[in-house]
Amino acid sequence: MFSYPTVRTTFLFVAIAIIALAFSDIAITSINPWRDLGRFFLGVVTPDFFSTEGLATAILRTVAFAFTGVALGSMCGFLLALMYRWRIVRLFSAFIRAIHELFWALIFLQFFGFHPLTGVLAIAIPYSGIFAKVYSEILDEADPEPRTLLPTGTSAISMFLYARVPDVWDRIRTYTSYRLECGMRSSAILGFVGLPTIGFYLESSFSQGQYSEAGALLILFYVLIATIPWWVKPKLLPIYVVGAPFFLGEGLPIVWGNVARFFTEDIVPSPIRNNEGLGEFGAWLGDLMLTEAIPGIWNTVVLTQIALVFTGLLALLAFPLISTHFGGPVRRTSGHIFLVIARSTPEYILAYILLQLWGPSMLPAVVALALHNGGIIGHLIGRQSNNIKLRADAARGLNRYSYELVPRVYSSFLAFLFYRWEIIMRETAILGILGVATLGFYIDSAIQNIQFDRAMVLILITAMLNIGIDGLSRFIRRRLALQTMPTC
Amino acid sequence: MFSRLIRHTALSLLLALISIVPAYAETFVFTAIPDEDETKLVERFRGIADYLSKQLDVEVRYIPVKSYAAAISAFRNNQVQLAWFGGLSGVQARALVEDSEALAQGVEDQEFFNYFIAHKSTGLERSDTLPEEVRGKTFTFGSKGSTSGRLIPEYHIRKIFGEAPEEVFTRVGFSGNHTRTLRLVEAGTYEVGALNYKVWEKELEDGNIDTDSVKIIWKTPAYPNYQWSIRGDVNERFGDGFKERVKQALLALDDPKLLESFPRSGFVPASNDDYEPIEEVAKQLGIID
Amino acid sequence: MTGIKLSGVTASFGGERVLGPLSLDIKPGERIALVGKSGAGKSTLIRMLYQQANSQASLIPQDLGLVHALPVFHNVYMARLDQHPNWYNIVTLMRPFERERADIEPLLDQLGILGKVRATVSSLSGGQRQRVAIARAIYRDATMLLADEPVSALDGPMAHVVMSLLNEAYETTVIALHDVELALRYCQRIVGIQDGQIALDEASSRLSETDILPLY
Repeated sequence: MFSYPTVRTTFLFVAIAIIALAFSDIAITSINPWRDLGRFFLGVVTPDFFSTEGLATAILRTVAFAFTGVALGSMCGFLLALMYRWRIVRLFSAFIRAIHELFWALIFLQFFGFHPLTGVLAIAIPYSGIFAKVYSEILDEADPEPRTLLPTGTSAISMFLYARVPDVWDRIRTYTSYRLECGMRSSAILGFVGLPTIGFYLESSFSQGQYSEAGALLILFYVLIATIPWWVKPKLLPIYVVGAPFFLGEGLPIVWGNVARFFTEDIVPSPIRNNEGLGEFGAWLGDLMLTEAIPGIWNTVVLTQIALVFTGLLALLAFPLISTHFGGPVRRTSGHIFLVIARSTPEYILAYILLQLWGPSMLPAVVALALHNGGIIGHLIGRQSNNIKLRADAARGLNRYSYELVPRVYSSFLAFLFYRWEIIMRETAILGILGVATLGFYIDSAIQNIQFDRAMVLILITAMLNIGIDGLSRFIRRRLALQTMPTC
Repeated sequence: MFSRLIRHTALSLLLALISIVPAYAETFVFTAIPDEDETKLVERFRGIADYLSKQLDVEVRYIPVKSYAAAISAFRNNQVQLAWFGGLSGVQARALVEDSEALAQGVEDQEFFNYFIAHKSTGLERSDTLPEEVRGKTFTFGSKGSTSGRLIPEYHIRKIFGEAPEEVFTRVGFSGNHTRTLRLVEAGTYEVGALNYKVWEKELEDGNIDTDSVKIIWKTPAYPNYQWSIRGDVNERFGDGFKERVKQALLALDDPKLLESFPRSGFVPASNDDYEPIEEVAKQLGIID
Repeated sequence: MTGIKLSGVTASFGGERVLGPLSLDIKPGERIALVGKSGAGKSTLIRMLYQQANSQASLIPQDLGLVHALPVFHNVYMARLDQHPNWYNIVTLMRPFERERADIEPLLDQLGILGKVRATVSSLSGGQRQRVAIARAIYRDATMLLADEPVSALDGPMAHVVMSLLNEAYETTVIALHDVELALRYCQRIVGIQDGQIALDEASSRLSETDILPLY
């Protein structure tokens, strides 16, 4: 069994996670975790849709920010994709997508403040980087034959529009509308830092223990995401895209002087800003590395590795729930509902809820990451398992699971898992804002202390870490010859 | 089908332009640090907005924010001109905005103090100092940028134990705000917590505290806290003497319902110098440079 | 107008020689049929001729090279993208101009696919797709036609229609055909390919079907 490289890799990662567990901080610290959890579920089953006037506005804003941000991101990403063969463009795209939407929002909040542009750019910028990569991969897959047949002298633009784009247009469209769903989730969590989307109200209801209101918000959010195929129609798209910017809300006017100040003063390391010399700067950087960056990186990596393995475990356990090879329609429907809820709830919201209920430790973060990501991967390989035709006399039950299905989906399972490795790390860092001591915790602390120079260095470190993991993940996927499609 | 790409592109460009054009109106905007439950804040400060609007004869708007830093940034970025800050956030904000000043503080803010509270399972009782038995318990601050939720408690913990809070307690958290600290200690999520005495008293009065589960174990010495701070450039924008008019309006506030919502018995004049002790402590703890 | 001259060319695939060394001289006005077993190297030879002709030739490859997501009209129009400015091509994408419609529609009519002018290629049958590629090749307006099995998916009468249309449109043609009867009837010169070499090169008037059969 150990002769298979996929199996060896699996055991290596499980071993790393076990070691990481030894160093991790996993605990339920609240004395009555189940009472609060019970109250929360009671709230979800007794939703109160009329408690705040803001409910409808919150939904509207969430959709508006998602559409505007994703539309802008897809446009810029498309332009970047055209230049993707240049190394500098690839690096730039990798960099902007390595920084999470919430970090972008925290940055823009410092100089645009509560202007809608903050939310739009927070989505558009990282999405541009992602779109650039995926669009360029898609465009590369266009059939080259029609291009060789065009008369010489055909301009590059005409060639592009006739012989390259139409061939992959469907894939571009499918991917973009999939991203719109992701954008809806991003938009929702932007509320947690103060933008007027669902997260804003969710945070308020939760921190005040108004679980019925929180339940109503969550239910509306699931309905919103689950009904996307019905209300997002290609024909209506231009209307949405044009209309969305008008529903972002007013916010507060931008003061442009703040932008210049942010870049020329705020993020300049304080020893340099105060002309204290390079020696002081070295000491400043050393202190930052020692007291914040290194512990932050350590915790981020530890948490990521544990969450990665639990994600895998959950996905393997969950995919039979929707597989046609097991159970009847009732079981499959409830499986679908469970996976839809798991994957449409952003990790950030899940972690927030669990932290409120169980108290702070790495546990809520691990469970949140595993639920969300495991839900996504479980759904994908579950669907894939439905394409497998089993012979009529194939084994049943556990034997069917372990001998017939798992071996057949294992490669794509690993491919999805490693693809999400970087995403899990990005989320792990961001969960620090909620109080788990990952990089996000130190970034948030620096921002709370109005030390943007420190925050900036830490954000850059986070981005580098993500780029590194992304590279490593691609290396492993190539070594194991794993192929996958992008997920978010 | 494909022609949609082209139309789509043009429209997206258009919308990008639209969203950059700022909505502009000469509205006097203020904010407040989110130190308590949001519904309470909104209720309280909408009342203040109406009151100020009447007194000052300009449109006044309150915007809620999600963090202390966001309140400070909004003040610094001139997106709000007036803010209800805590001691520390006020010092931080005024250091960033030239000529800004503390206008008025609550009567109680001249001599503010904190309660350290503990869950009943700890068996701790009220005493004159923070008892040695809190060592090894779990502890929650309020918000990271809060005076009464973070700065003062941390200052006293370091002074009494000569160690960082992380070394005294097995687990240190930031609940987010005072109400939340109260709820978390009451529920036992954390064993010990520190909060603003005003929030404690108001919740107690409203019957929102289960005194069988949570009790006060220590009261800190007094320090100056909350204040209204205003930017230095408001007169240029809203007319001569505007700052003074805001100050007088705040000092003259006597609507018992509004005052009760803070809760303060009234407002008295304040100055930047009143907050030097806070600045000292913040420097000692390395929270400000 | 010039012909094409190949001399001593070879082609390898995966380290194995699939064609040549061979020499072939194609003069303007010649109609040549390439015959031989599949895998003999006909397609490779057509490719090499296309590279040699360097945009002077119109090509119908075996896999047609159509853009499946575009309508029939645009696939045909693509043959003349170089003759219009970009804006004209972009507007045509959204709504074709009358002028090109007047050129392209009669052509599609002759090929029996006028009813499909707005349909995307992906919705067509194999034979219909082949006719779209043929229409594109005719519309291309080059000096020479290179075609690789252009009528393989067409029934008898339609194959004759297509062959005559191609001959009408181009004076110089090199067409790979496995149908010996069509080759003898529509081409003047038959070039037989066997194992990457020219095994036969004769005027069709001096050949009969039985002379060619040994190549298969």
